[in-house]
Amino acid sequence: MQDYSFNEYFDRFPVAMAYVPWQHLTNIFENLDEAYHVGTIFPELEKPFTGRRCVK
Amino acid sequence: MNNRMKSEREQLFHDIGVISFVVTEMNEYLDTHPTDKEAMEYLNHYVRMQNQAMREYAMKYGPLRISDADGCNQNEWKWATQPWPWEGGC
Repeated sequence: MQDYSFNEYFDRFPVAMAYVPWQHLTNIFENLDEAYHVGTIFPELEKPFTGRRCVK
Repeated sequence: MNNRMKSEREQLFHDIGVISFVVTEMNEYLDTHPTDKEAMEYLNHYVRMQNQAMREYAMKYGPLRISDADGCNQNEWKWATQPWPWEGGC
């Protein structure tokens, strides 16, 4: 449960292993109906699956 | 999203779903961030709201959790007589 700094420890990580960046609480959706609809109360975790590349 | 007007019961049931979802999300966040005070405050706030809404629902329509069954001042066991989910109870 340690909060590794990516830059500091990068060289010591074994290859081919995946790491998930640590989540920090920022805020939660103001509109909770919207949160319920998108499936998370954390705006930074809203990652809709589109099945294709996204173009902004 | 349909635009049909929800009945008061449906609206309260929906709100309980949303509040319970927030509680679960905060619960999971705290599992990996057990010393985050702000998250604990959020959790406590929504747990209180959830309990309040659950009590209100139990009083008006019947309990959604067995722990709220004592909040129903009916002469019948609403837990069993209210519609089940597969009978359109939610």
